[in-house]
Amino acid sequence: MFLLVHGVPAQETFTSGQLQALHQKVTPAIGLVRFSSEVINPTSGEVSKRDGNALGLVVSPGGLVMTHGHMVLEGTTPFNISVTLGLLAEEKEYPAKLLRKPDDINVVFLQLESPTPLDLPHVTFQSDAAPVLGQPLVIFGMLGDSMDFAPAWDEARINAVLDQPRTTYCLNANLRFGFVGGPVLNTAGQAVGVTGFDLGRAEGGELYTRSGHPLLYQASLFQKYIDAPPGEKGVEGEEGDAWLGVFTQPLTDEFAQYWKLERRGGLIVSTVVPGSPAAEIGLQPGDIIISFNNTPIQARQDRDVLGFTQLVRQAGAGNEVEVTILRAGQPEQLHVKVGARPRTSREAEEHEDPYLGLTVREITTDMRIAMNLPEDVQGVIVRRVKSGSPAQEAGMRPMVIILRLGPHPVTTLEDFRQAVEQMARQKPAEVSVFGRFGAATGFFRLNPRW
Amino acid sequence: MYVLEQRVAIDASGAIGRIGRIGRIGHVRQVRQVCPKTGGSALWAFLLLAVLLSGCVTTGGLEHRIIQAKDRVAPALVHIRPVKEVYSQGRREEMLVVGSGFIISPEGYVVTNEHVAGESSVVHVILSDKSEVPAKVVGVDPYTVLAVLKLDVDYPLPFVKLGSSAALETGERVLALGSPHGLARSVSEGIISVTDRHLEDRGAMASPFNNWLQTDAAINPGNSGGPLVNLRGEVVGVNARVLSGAENVGFAIPIDVAKEVVTAIIEKGRVERSTIGLTLQEMQAQTDNPDRPGVLVADIDPLSPASESDIHPGDILVAVNGVPVNARFEEDLPPVQKLMADLPVGQAAELTVERGGEPVAVQVTPEELSQPRGTEQEFEEWAFTVSDLTPQHARRARLAARKGVHVSGVQVGGLASQAGLQQGDIVLSMDKIEIEDLPHFTELYKERVASGQSLVLLFVKRGALTRFALIEQEAKPEPATVAPEPSVPVPPVQQGEPLHVE
Repeated sequence: MFLLVHGVPAQETFTSGQLQALHQKVTPAIGLVRFSSEVINPTSGEVSKRDGNALGLVVSPGGLVMTHGHMVLEGTTPFNISVTLGLLAEEKEYPAKLLRKPDDINVVFLQLESPTPLDLPHVTFQSDAAPVLGQPLVIFGMLGDSMDFAPAWDEARINAVLDQPRTTYCLNANLRFGFVGGPVLNTAGQAVGVTGFDLGRAEGGELYTRSGHPLLYQASLFQKYIDAPPGEKGVEGEEGDAWLGVFTQPLTDEFAQYWKLERRGGLIVSTVVPGSPAAEIGLQPGDIIISFNNTPIQARQDRDVLGFTQLVRQAGAGNEVEVTILRAGQPEQLHVKVGARPRTSREAEEHEDPYLGLTVREITTDMRIAMNLPEDVQGVIVRRVKSGSPAQEAGMRPMVIILRLGPHPVTTLEDFRQAVEQMARQKPAEVSVFGRFGAATGFFRLNPRW
Repeated sequence: MYVLEQRVAIDASGAIGRIGRIGRIGHVRQVRQVCPKTGGSALWAFLLLAVLLSGCVTTGGLEHRIIQAKDRVAPALVHIRPVKEVYSQGRREEMLVVGSGFIISPEGYVVTNEHVAGESSVVHVILSDKSEVPAKVVGVDPYTVLAVLKLDVDYPLPFVKLGSSAALETGERVLALGSPHGLARSVSEGIISVTDRHLEDRGAMASPFNNWLQTDAAINPGNSGGPLVNLRGEVVGVNARVLSGAENVGFAIPIDVAKEVVTAIIEKGRVERSTIGLTLQEMQAQTDNPDRPGVLVADIDPLSPASESDIHPGDILVAVNGVPVNARFEEDLPPVQKLMADLPVGQAAELTVERGGEPVAVQVTPEELSQPRGTEQEFEEWAFTVSDLTPQHARRARLAARKGVHVSGVQVGGLASQAGLQQGDIVLSMDKIEIEDLPHFTELYKERVASGQSLVLLFVKRGALTRFALIEQEAKPEPATVAPEPSVPVPPVQQGEPLHVE
């Protein structure tokens, strides 16, 4: 039997002339992103700085630049960001500000800052181009520091296509750091996506990664962010960040057999986050979600869980949807108002205090879960401890939760700010801090240098 | 009642007799082998006699005094090679360790460290004459890291004289005897660097009831359990810890602490202590004002007697059953914590706390203090190890009650691992039956393994999250992906510590 391959463009390889033309067309949009980042030592709280660089791709004439998401990892804060365009030619460096990292794809957007309006060469994507297995592609990137970050290309083909949890195209290229985030073009000269590197997170917090293999992030995954760029970092969560507040496991055939259910898949509720929309409608561990917003849920493997995350996101915050569950084997219909995802640690507000040498931040829901903190623990979390500060002297560390500062109870960042301000007026020689570290509480005595 | 002090008295008065006993275990002959340069046993015996007749260590130079002190202890010094039971990566394994110890009575009680001899099935003890005798573990006390062994002999043995650690002074010269890196009968020398070092409590290394002697006498892995000796030849401490990365910063349990613990172990097999669930801090953690007596209440365990009483973090504990307590500095905490641990279990105690400047009387009934580590067990069919919940487990997992068991290790490719269980998980229920404790879990487990029921449902807690795990008893374990062991098995030998402090 013969399998007919459908949709392969007539031309199977790139000619030298074509590569030269594409190179000329694409490289003006490739820039070098330089940034510094702060890395916080999780035990001592001391902060060290280091410089990094990455490929940045100009995706709009007005100076929207897309780069890969590793710039913004947990525990690091990039700053002093600049983008140099016109590499190896007339180089020009622009300062850039970081926009909020999308949470469904591992890319980050930067906005170049310029006193005059920009009209830059940029890459436009063909978001409806459907890549196919075996298709030849050219990937653009840049070489390393020792090669002056020279723009370069490489040929690659799609060597695997995975359907779940979202259509994923794998590239048979070596994963070279300077190529991640670079544009990927087909033989028709269309930009079909960028070289990607996954770091996804599923609803339920189970990290779902396909790291180590270069991927083609097809344009349909990120075109929406080019059309409507995310806000600046630290700005309140956007529309579309929907949340139910459940952690789930797929209903494998073995679970179905144990509970004497049909082997049709579903999602077992394993944990319900207190105060979430799921808790409000009384979802319990052991309930099995079989339908959500009129879409049947047939998850049977771990990777299927991510599909549910997307369904929740599609349902949209603020909308009421129907959920069908099996409880003790019997179907039940519930209506749930999809909530807005609470701010995550990445967006948590911070406050740097000059007197005690502490940077503290609010307790976000994800931190509460990660630290297994009860709801009744309200306070602020130590994020950084300045080297040589009174806080360091007193033995304070990151992750200490401050519950009381001197005589002032602290439940919010604002409480903390006000408590310090009040004390700064009275200038007590010592300040007793009541805090929590892990599961236990205790005291720290600080001698502030007012 | 068996009091260590009495045996010490016998030792002091029966010193000549001790030589006779050494002779009976062939010590003199062995000495000659070790020290051929001394010119034979007659000279050796003469020297010993001379030392003993001189009565006290006042004569001679420093070197002479060191030799005298060493000679008083060395005959009772032992080299210990226990086969320890260790649980690692979901398996129970046996491991040969080496450590040190010393004989404290003619019938053969030996003091060593809990991390040397605890959880051992077989203990071989090598005496100073290099003969090997079997021993059994009488009892252990993880809180003071002490263990007591009983040698299986039917003749009297040489034993050490226990001194007093309270009488020690910083700067006083001491010797450390033992088996550094397995090298038996080694002596090193130094001084007492500090008499009351407080070592911060850290998980498995918590020592809430004692401060430590710090010495610069070289202490290495293998020295654990060996004696720290003053120049009168009296044991003043039990070497147990070193500061890793430092030079000559070693720690010994003061002998005064050890005497009480060892007596309790010999009499009852263990040390009974109570708790009400308070964590205390020194007053300096709140204020450096020297006029503030008392001890700071830092924390209340939520599943403890104190949690049901009117006592709160921030209260100042000023008296226990009318006895004033004070801890301005952290070094003052162990005596207060010991006082509290000595309160009788089940008998109401009256605590006086100060709150907002006013004294408040609080009645609390102490419960028994549990061991810092739970009993551990391997479950071969499911290929994992499980331990009893400690209060710390219950607390970290925020359990409503101390019910369930703790997964302490999971074998790669086994049924538990295939079901997604991980080290640190707490198993709350099996087939919807709430698990009480390790014996209950064992009972349920055995029933299911015997019945061969194809699927067993566990409900587990992992941090803030709960999840379901299905043990597929019919599933075949995955073949090991690791290369087979080399054909010549090399038994693992661990140098019997000392525990390292970071």
